[in-house]
Amino acid sequence: MTVSEREKSFGRILLLIIISLYLLATLFDPASAGQALMKSLSVLKNIAPVLLIVLFLMTLLSAYIQPQKIFHYLGRKSGLKGWGIALGGGVLSHGPDYLWYPILSDLRARGVNEGLIVAFFYARSVKVPWLPMMASYFGIAFTVILTFYILLAAVIQGKIAEKIIPPQSTI
Amino acid sequence: MKREKNTWTRALKAALGTLYSMTPMLLAVIGLVGLFQTYITPEMIHSFFTGSALYDTLIGTVTGAISVGQPFISYIIGGGLSQQGVSLYAVTAFILSFVTLGVVQLPMEYTLFGMRFTLVRNLLSFLFSILVSVMTVWTLEVLL
Repeated sequence: MTVSEREKSFGRILLLIIISLYLLATLFDPASAGQALMKSLSVLKNIAPVLLIVLFLMTLLSAYIQPQKIFHYLGRKSGLKGWGIALGGGVLSHGPDYLWYPILSDLRARGVNEGLIVAFFYARSVKVPWLPMMASYFGIAFTVILTFYILLAAVIQGKIAEKIIPPQSTI
Repeated sequence: MKREKNTWTRALKAALGTLYSMTPMLLAVIGLVGLFQTYITPEMIHSFFTGSALYDTLIGTVTGAISVGQPFISYIIGGGLSQQGVSLYAVTAFILSFVTLGVVQLPMEYTLFGMRFTLVRNLLSFLFSILVSVMTVWTLEVLL
């Protein structure tokens, strides 16, 4: 996978804008700017392990998994197993969405069905480690019903996206 | 054996190169997360709700989308809103959009997936946050 020049320059511009915002905040409200910086550093520390997992998966994908295999298991004609992998992967994946963007855009370029990516993202809203806490706040019935509807909505959204978004496969 | 090691090394270098190229964008998003967490406070989110179920559901979806943090933060804020009398429709929509929509990550999503994908995915997530919240509360009311 390669990152295009357009993507690289967009990233640099965005970073410059954010740095400018921090400088402005430091000028007018240094305490809050410092607090924001500390929060960002804490996020960076928390996502480091997930970043390593993403790096490992990207390496594995690039080294051993043939595009034809990906297309077979996660392409437009992958059927139920494709949806199962997308939902299961979404539920089990950790960390913020943006950490999964690089690997998912790579998979998309290798022929993964766009609908499955959309379903994966929505299924990520089922946060297994936090389910007990949700149940303690809103009850077990609420948690079970919400989880069921989230998974159902993930598939429906995936199916709609499949119809609207044209395939981007490069194989 | 040596060939396999070469394949692995080449793949690792490619993956590291990709992540390195994305570092500015990733740092920008993380910087934005810090700013949002500091300036968009739970008190500010509480102040948006009015008590009207329909309006609050929409507000719940929008405020969830602009909020950032670990999912449990949405449960704490949602629990507080519920205690204040905000409808469960709105609270559910807030919890859902908190994890499915993310204003701070939109620039990165747009750059890597393109305008059409980003627009479709986020619009669907927005609509389904409302739909799922309505269905969940209705089902809960019918069952209990």
